[in-house]
Amino acid sequence: MPILRPGFALPFEELRDELDRVWTTLTAAPPVPGWGTRPAEGVFPAVVVRESDEAITVEAELPGLDADDVEITVAGDELLVKRSRPETCPVPPASGRTGDGDGDGDGEKQERVMWHRRERGTGAFERRIALPVVVDASRVEARLVDGVLTVTCPKAAECQPHKVAVRSV
Amino acid sequence: MVTQAQTTIPATEPQSEPTLTYQPNVDICDLGAEVLLVADIPGAHAAGIDVTFEDGVLALRAAVPPRILPGRSMRQEYGIGNYRRSFRLGDGFDASQISADYKKGVLTIHVPRLAAVRPRKVEVKTA
Repeated sequence: MPILRPGFALPFEELRDELDRVWTTLTAAPPVPGWGTRPAEGVFPAVVVRESDEAITVEAELPGLDADDVEITVAGDELLVKRSRPETCPVPPASGRTGDGDGDGDGEKQERVMWHRRERGTGAFERRIALPVVVDASRVEARLVDGVLTVTCPKAAECQPHKVAVRSV
Repeated sequence: MVTQAQTTIPATEPQSEPTLTYQPNVDICDLGAEVLLVADIPGAHAAGIDVTFEDGVLALRAAVPPRILPGRSMRQEYGIGNYRRSFRLGDGFDASQISADYKKGVLTIHVPRLAAVRPRKVEVKTA
């Protein structure tokens, strides 16, 4: 007959703790739709979002844009990036399409443009990014280097983890 | 003559590269006197960009230094790595006059046509 030792139930307790941990993670995780997936077709710009204890960092690829070309708005737990992306070719958009090259009456300088490939999107864009926590809008910093936008959003004080001191009586 | 642009798979590329490699989005527009190739390569530095034109194939490569952001990943919609892409442009281009400039994450390559094959307007004289 086995002897019931004091530590017998330990493996089951560990298993229960592990299941509790998994369940808590699933139910308490911030709602971040589309985690780890590509954005839908036509969504611009694509983003990378990372979370540390102090801040949420959002990175977006915005090639061809100046800092003045990007408008960033932060409100609560939402980040909005918008503005417009310029055309590729230095010609009027109305004459930039294939097949309308006869520039009669539009002057000698108008060039005939034929597109072989158009993969880069142009024009107005707007992207709303749901942040997992409320951030301190007054301390948000953004920089645009080599077409890569990095927005650092410090978490609001009430959302930052803080250590609780335990007093011994 | 219309230049046919198409992607080519470089057969001689070494397979063991340190980071992932991506194909950049590209616009190609033919202005008659030259072909303009515009590629989005955000994150690249000018010193790490390599453009070659050989046997009618225009190839661009760009090394992108890794970007490390703090914390754990919440959303990852694109990967960070080097860029590589090549196009067959055909004959009639002046390889010695190809120029490229890089600004704000966009590489623009100007490939001028040889003077002999450039389109020109012929004046019609009346007798």
